Amino acid sequence: MAIEQFVSVALALVLSPLLLGVINRVKAIFAGRTGQPLLQAYYDLAKLLRKGAVYSRTTTWVFRAGPTIGLGSTLAALMLVPMGGTPALVSFSGDLVLFAYLLGLARFFTVSAALDTGSAFEGMGASREVQFAAVAEPALLLGLAALAARTHSLSLSGIFAGSASSAAAHGPAIFQWWLQMGPIVLLVGGAFFIVFLAENARIPVDDPNTHLELTMIHEVMVLDHSGPDLAFIQYGAALKHWVIGALVVGSLLPVHPAHPVWTPVVAVAGMLALAVVVGVVESVMARLRLLSVPHLLMGALALSVVALVLVIY
Amino acid sequence: MNAWTDVIVVLVALTNLGLLGSSRLSVCIRVVAVQGIFFGLAAVLLRAEPITVDLAVVAAASAIVKGIVFPVLLLRTARNVNIRREVEPFVGFSTSLFVGLVLLAFALWIGAQMPVEANPTGSLVIPLALFTVMVGLFTIASRRKAVTQVLGYLTMENGIFAFGVTVVGGIPVLVELGVLMDVFVAVFVMCIATWHISREFDHVDVDQLDALKG
Amino acid sequence: MDAGALILIQLALPALFAAACLVLRSPKAVLATVALGALVMAASTGATVWAVHVHGTLGAVGEWFFLDALSAYHLVLLSIVFGLSSLYSWKYFAHPHEKARFDLRTARRFGALWFGAAAAMTLVLESNNLGILWVGVEASTLLTAFLICLHVSPASLEAMWKYLIMCSVGVAFAFIGTLLVSASAAHAKLDGSDALLWTHLKAVAGNLNPTLLKMGFIFLLVGYGTKAGLAPMHGWLPDAHSQAPAPVSAVFSGFLLNSALYCIMRYIPIVEAGTGHVGWGLGILTLFGLASILIAAGFIVFQNDAKRLLAYSSVEHMGIIAVGLGLGGFGVFAAMFHAANHSIAKPLGFFSAGRLGQMYGTHDMTKMKGVLRVSPVWGGGFFFSLLALIGVAPFAIFMSEFQILRAAFDTGALVTLALFVAGTCIVFVGALRHAVRAAWEPADEAIRPEPAGALDIALVFLPLAAMLAFGLFLPSFASGAFAEAAKIIGGTP
Repeated sequence: MAIEQFVSVALALVLSPLLLGVINRVKAIFAGRTGQPLLQAYYDLAKLLRKGAVYSRTTTWVFRAGPTIGLGSTLAALMLVPMGGTPALVSFSGDLVLFAYLLGLARFFTVSAALDTGSAFEGMGASREVQFAAVAEPALLLGLAALAARTHSLSLSGIFAGSASSAAAHGPAIFQWWLQMGPIVLLVGGAFFIVFLAENARIPVDDPNTHLELTMIHEVMVLDHSGPDLAFIQYGAALKHWVIGALVVGSLLPVHPAHPVWTPVVAVAGMLALAVVVGVVESVMARLRLLSVPHLLMGALALSVVALVLVIY
Repeated sequence: MNAWTDVIVVLVALTNLGLLGSSRLSVCIRVVAVQGIFFGLAAVLLRAEPITVDLAVVAAASAIVKGIVFPVLLLRTARNVNIRREVEPFVGFSTSLFVGLVLLAFALWIGAQMPVEANPTGSLVIPLALFTVMVGLFTIASRRKAVTQVLGYLTMENGIFAFGVTVVGGIPVLVELGVLMDVFVAVFVMCIATWHISREFDHVDVDQLDALKG
Repeated sequence: MDAGALILIQLALPALFAAACLVLRSPKAVLATVALGALVMAASTGATVWAVHVHGTLGAVGEWFFLDALSAYHLVLLSIVFGLSSLYSWKYFAHPHEKARFDLRTARRFGALWFGAAAAMTLVLESNNLGILWVGVEASTLLTAFLICLHVSPASLEAMWKYLIMCSVGVAFAFIGTLLVSASAAHAKLDGSDALLWTHLKAVAGNLNPTLLKMGFIFLLVGYGTKAGLAPMHGWLPDAHSQAPAPVSAVFSGFLLNSALYCIMRYIPIVEAGTGHVGWGLGILTLFGLASILIAAGFIVFQNDAKRLLAYSSVEHMGIIAVGLGLGGFGVFAAMFHAANHSIAKPLGFFSAGRLGQMYGTHDMTKMKGVLRVSPVWGGGFFFSLLALIGVAPFAIFMSEFQILRAAFDTGALVTLALFVAGTCIVFVGALRHAVRAAWEPADEAIRPEPAGALDIALVFLPLAAMLAFGLFLPSFASGAFAEAAKIIGGTP
């Protein structure tokens, strides 16, 4: 079992930038372009790591610490996320709260680094980021609470293992299981998907390709970082895609851990499928007005609450 | 069949939240129509006894009237009085969604308080019917446009219909049809009234109908 | 001919007249049909009531239609109010001020809706099936909505919209209540269509599920109470009753409110028996009644519009009837008496206000001065109807209010007594001030007095005479009718 856990972490470390590549490739196909190479994210990381960093005189240690701590927190969160039915590297009861707080820690330091530059530009991005997080985090936590209430476990690994085994118990009658659990799974999956889009700065919440002041949220917070710091930030963003994506895929597509080979394959396939879906969503939708983003996130919160309320009753 | 009804019931809850959270009138109208059809289906599927002709007639009539006639009437009225969106309601859209979630919890609590014989199957239809009624009432109270108030009334009637069919076994067909006819005439009358209001006042903001005081 | 057929005839007549009005050729023809139709309906009512008196109860179409002393009594009230108002509308709409707006389309609409509303109210009174009862109440709401804005204007549209939404929502609540009461019957092994029949529910009332019954009664009280104008759900009433044309206001105040209270009266014996006769439902009803009296009193003092004053007076009187019902026993008899008095006096008030409004061109009482000089008949009608309504002796309302006081004293409901007295005194002072000012202060400008015809004199004299007669000496057929009706609700004379 230990090997599987290391395998899942290793896969995450290696394959997460590929997710970005897949999303960009899908968008390019929709636009009729050839687009960037699939491995472009890796090339960018390599390039950035070779460069030197430039620090503004107005910044303090917070600015330097931001990207490092951000990457560290995301790596720690990665340790807690199970893949399919396989338990995560580190799991204990209540680790879903730690998971949410680790993501929050990463966000806190990113925001602090942005504010540390003293630029109004980054400050604006920081305030928007925090405002949206205020609604997205409850959606995430309540969705996890719904799943936890259903499987009677407070550990991420326990939750997803519980879903997987209850799915497997029905065997070929998976449709029956779907029908019974279907509403809750769909509601939670939907809520997590919206949170995914929000946390990773995807359309319709934020446009990763824009550099207009009116429309930037995540992009603007990292404007002043360079060199290895920027590499850490980009790699951290890719890992965050993987981490939250694992939640989405895990809730929608439970996989039984009895197949040591199939589990990682199916899980990775699920992640790539998720990346394709995100690419499609990005291509067909426009970015929402900033005033409408909280509405969307409230919708995600509503989905989570409905799921939670249904599970409790 | 209980799993199916719960699926339908979840969808109905989502339609209610959708009604609370949308500002576009055409979306709201369609959402209420879908809700009416779903409640009709749930009422038929929930029967323990086999489906009789009576019940089928009532369900079919209800589905047609609520799913086709009402949206057509309301969309035409909205077009005639030239409104597309509910702007600036008394209670903002995010807050309305939040209030809706609180009402959902409250409705489920009340459903648990009701005596067992009213809800022998323990299904979620009754609490969700109550939720629908509360959402309808909240919509009437918190929105400014006349058409949205009519939608709130329709939502209330949807919830009451579902409540009636599940709590009271076997309401006579004639009564059900009478009720349906009453609701139809009510919506019709309200649409005509809205048209008159827009002609007389040049707007359909019921908040601005406050000349009569004291 | 089976006596039960009378019930159906009573229902069919207004429907036929409504259809007839749609195809008439001139406004005058419509008004004539209205008057004639009302007289025919009055005759039919007489026959029906006589049949009820002879047979005790009447039924038709299985058990779906049913007439007993209570519904027969209310049928009489309906025909009196409807008849007087129909005769009055003949005069009202023929006035030069109205003639311009009362064109053929308006006239046809008026006639059809007028009789349609009467048909709906008759359906309410004749139904044994509580679901059909509800259908009738909602139908009456919808049909009367466009009577309010017969003449489309911003104010009347506003009044109509408030009325439509508030009463539709209220009546929807009442439907939930009906469903809950019907569901409580499952406990008593009633099922299906039987659970909606009032006679069956009354028979097994002791076995109904008390929790569901209580929940249902609250919904019913709030729902039908909205339609009856009980505070705090009365918000639509002043607007609707003041903006509607005078004959419509008269029917609204004179009978439509009573029909909603009638629905509550039907549920009282069931709830009382179901909750073990502890007076739980009656207490809540009394609370609503007292709230209505006090709130109406407050608004009457500061009121300047004649029709709004009369509308708030309706709220007060519905509150008084509710208090009477809530006191039980002798109070119910007094409530029945009071209902009759109010239904006779209030239309007169609206008739006078309407005609005076036509003469003065406004309903503002600060401008309506010297009414006794301008028009002795209608000015006198206005003045004396106000006096009657606030409970000046020897008019009958004084007697019925006194009887309710006595009932409160007898049952030891001293808080109710005190609040009731306080409310009615405030109304007395407030409305008397308006009445005196309207009657005796010299008229501002030279208003052209209009001669009063025989019909005018009859319309004013008859209700006042009836009020005096009932106040001085209550004839036995009347007190017998009140007692019979009260017995059904659970009161004793």
